[in-house]
Amino acid sequence: MKDDKSRCSCPYCSNTFDTVKELRSHMMAEHKGQPLPAPEGLIKITVNGESYELQVKPNWTLYYLLHDKMGLTGAKMFCDRGACGSCTVIMDGSPILSCMTLAMECDGKTIETIEGIATANHPLIDAYVKHHCMQCGYCTPGFIMTAKALLDRNPNPTEIDVKENLAGNLCRCGTYPQHLKAVLEAAENLRGG
Amino acid sequence: MANKVLGDYKKLEAEGRYQVGADVPKVTFREIGKRGIHRLDGYEKASGQAIYTRDIQLPGMLYARVLMSPYPHARIQKMETGEAEALPGVRAIIRYDDVEVKDRMLNGCYFGPEWVAPRLAGWALKPVHPVLGDQAWYEGQPLGAVVAADSEDIAHRALRLLKVEWEELPFVLDQEEALKPDAPILRPEADNNLIERPGETIEKGDVERGFREADKIIEFRAKRNAHLWAGAELPSVVVRWRGDNLELSVHEQQPYHAKMLLSEWLKVPMNKITMHSPYQGCAFGGRGNPANNSENGMNILAALLARRTGRPVKLLYDRREYFYGESGDMMVGDFKVGAKNDGTITAVQMKNVFAVYMGTPGIDHFVENTKISNLLCKTSTADVSKGPAWWCRCEQLPNTFCFTLVFDHVAAELGLDPTEVALKNDGFEDYDTTELSKYKREHGFPDRDSLRECIGAGKKAIGWAEKWHPPGTKKLPNGKMHGMAFTWNHEWDDTRGTGSGAVMIENDGTVSIIGQQSDIGVNPWTTYCQIVADELGVRYEDVNIKPFTLDHGYALMSPDGSANLCTNGEVLRKASQKAKKMLLELAADKFDGVTAEELDMKDSVIYVKAAPEEQRTIVEIVARAMPMSASVALWTKPPVVASAWHNQGLWGRALETGRPHLCRQAHFMEVEVDTGTGEIEVTKVVNVNDVGKAVSPETVEGQMYGGTYMGVGRALTEEMVWDENTGVLLNRNLLDYKYATMLDCGPIETVIKETGMGHGPYGAVGVAEDIATVVPALLGPAVYNAIGEWIDEYPITADKVLKALGKSQERD
Repeated sequence: MKDDKSRCSCPYCSNTFDTVKELRSHMMAEHKGQPLPAPEGLIKITVNGESYELQVKPNWTLYYLLHDKMGLTGAKMFCDRGACGSCTVIMDGSPILSCMTLAMECDGKTIETIEGIATANHPLIDAYVKHHCMQCGYCTPGFIMTAKALLDRNPNPTEIDVKENLAGNLCRCGTYPQHLKAVLEAAENLRGG
Repeated sequence: MANKVLGDYKKLEAEGRYQVGADVPKVTFREIGKRGIHRLDGYEKASGQAIYTRDIQLPGMLYARVLMSPYPHARIQKMETGEAEALPGVRAIIRYDDVEVKDRMLNGCYFGPEWVAPRLAGWALKPVHPVLGDQAWYEGQPLGAVVAADSEDIAHRALRLLKVEWEELPFVLDQEEALKPDAPILRPEADNNLIERPGETIEKGDVERGFREADKIIEFRAKRNAHLWAGAELPSVVVRWRGDNLELSVHEQQPYHAKMLLSEWLKVPMNKITMHSPYQGCAFGGRGNPANNSENGMNILAALLARRTGRPVKLLYDRREYFYGESGDMMVGDFKVGAKNDGTITAVQMKNVFAVYMGTPGIDHFVENTKISNLLCKTSTADVSKGPAWWCRCEQLPNTFCFTLVFDHVAAELGLDPTEVALKNDGFEDYDTTELSKYKREHGFPDRDSLRECIGAGKKAIGWAEKWHPPGTKKLPNGKMHGMAFTWNHEWDDTRGTGSGAVMIENDGTVSIIGQQSDIGVNPWTTYCQIVADELGVRYEDVNIKPFTLDHGYALMSPDGSANLCTNGEVLRKASQKAKKMLLELAADKFDGVTAEELDMKDSVIYVKAAPEEQRTIVEIVARAMPMSASVALWTKPPVVASAWHNQGLWGRALETGRPHLCRQAHFMEVEVDTGTGEIEVTKVVNVNDVGKAVSPETVEGQMYGGTYMGVGRALTEEMVWDENTGVLLNRNLLDYKYATMLDCGPIETVIKETGMGHGPYGAVGVAEDIATVVPALLGPAVYNAIGEWIDEYPITADKVLKALGKSQERD
């Protein structure tokens, strides 16, 4: 019976009814003329300055949405459980692990990915290329996103600031010393140095 | 064995297939050796545009997952797949008893139908190795069933719906336990767990005589626990059939081998297989073992599923599933060393017991790198209930481990400066450095004392003269104990590479390098473009490579064995020289009364050597050199494209017959040890690498930095931990398996030496494997220097420090 009832819940106000007929009467009486209600799992997000309305499933991560569904493959699956930072994107100004964030939680959020900041020619990109901050390159976008979030918050970081902020990102090729140079140089360039 | 090698060397030398003398460059270096060259793959990787195998999706693609064994040693008695098959979205399940895979083994062969796996490519693997079997020899082994479904999630859920009845069998984890008479025998056909392999005993001279000549005998026992490479990109393969043609994107370091193996197994002709190798998220050798479930095995299963379903299939492993492929140096060794009071080592004896090992015995660098006359190495390898080991940055780990520990124990025991002990014993094949000098002079090399130069530079960089102190004597103002250590080695001139490639002058005057190569991040393509630019006389910006497919038939040497540049540099130099000759012959027509020999090229302009103002652009010359053209055939000429193949020689050591290693490497480390907590901090590392010639200095430095972090992680924290009661690997993730982060190592100083004494092009040797392989063992001597106690079990974790200091309650 419970299942039958749930099939007759009102999409506008969630009231439940024993029969479809009762539901129809309710909707005609209470909700006639209103726009269609948003289905569950419909989210609105802004990615790299463009707005999207997307139907997501409850078990989708933000990484899956960006990488597999939207084709933004710069976020990478490395550790596959929040240990490495390779899937880092910036959400409302903060660096987050997209593999540990459910897509449904992102409704109304503004997201920046590596593709966005590369298109915008962020000085980090050039600095990273110049200082060879990559070997295989798999973790590189995650590092740059973390560094970008740092520079957004702190335009004049010290060496220690950079190290502490990037310490959550793993690089198996061990490119760490080069990142330090690149981030400090990009910071200087951003300050107009 | 030695005679066989002698024969091969002499034959190759006679055929001119491998170079014995020094390489005297005939070109002016414009791009080669220059700093600040735009890194070819840099923007793609930094901007997120670089596509890796894992990123690829095809329309209608299915996702496949393989079952993994929950037990370290078990057999499937029965498996019900009904519920899994009924799950909406499941499109195919292949079972171990299905006709496609039943009783089918992985093929481990590198050379077509000639089965060489047991000795060359497979003896480290489990002896019986089905593609999809019903038996597990380690926890986490792929077996039983593979599922293809509409999504990864559905495939994963389907695996959980399989009803498997397991027969659990006894297991053993420790290699020494495995060799005891009462140990459970892991292979039903065997009567013990000893893995047969060649070269179990390596003997030179007479160690007993050496011990008698010694002033002091030093004995110790050392152990290296398992670690693994754990690369960034997890394994995946994307497969689709086009009629009877097969097209794949693979995550492989050696796709050509992968293609050979796949063709052999599936009985699909090689000319019907198209293989792509997009960017690769690390490999370090770990994706260079095609004869493995996680490589050829997964390619086979994906192809079978794609055939059954008629749809593209992507087979994936997750991090937990891909936590095997140990480093090949799971070993315990008993050492006995004889030395004179002045540091001359008279004898080295070692007895090493390995677990599922694939690598080197431990003694090789004493043979290749010292004048020590009396050497004895006995190795045995036990099968244990752990995943297959494989070489990963690099197979020399046992050799460098033993080398460093022997030298540093000797120096400590004699109270000598370890740099002096190194210099005292430098040489090759029991010859001293006088003989090395003679060899250098006879073969046209500069006669430089590489080790002395490296040690000098390293001592200066780390402040050795001011800082070196007796063990356990220097307490820092922060209360910690200061320690420092030194080790050394020869160059990584693994002379075993073979590659082919071509150089084409396009009709707009730009230059294409044609040849597949899997990128694993060592910036090879930039260096190839530098070499081609200088050899041809064109601008670096005018050269490019698109190495993502095997279809054009050329496969450059894979990035293995530090042999990438030494091999492919030669390939591309040869091809460039041929292409240049073709181009200049074509150009001669465009100049009045001038032959090709009278022309040369610089900055992409062809000119008359005697009258440099007479010039033509490349475009003028090649405008009609067309691979195809619809214009009047009479006007066209054949394209300017030249190919080359190069074999860089035999692998490794001189063996009194081939070429000795001439370049040396020196490594220094400083640590601080907290005697209250046992915590070790690596505060500085200095690497001095004689790379012969640095074609791209920033790339060399990248390897020196990266190798240090990998080495420090291996020394301090990296360890695979199995539960003794269940045989289950406990830390199958990158939170509990810890490799070094940015904070885990102090400043790294890099000093590049270029003595030109390598056997590679322009006198170069490899560098990428040296640091990560040599640095780990350096921690023990550094900690000894800090606290005055040896800890010879790696990784050296805080608990072992406390135990060594007598501060631990832990029982032995």
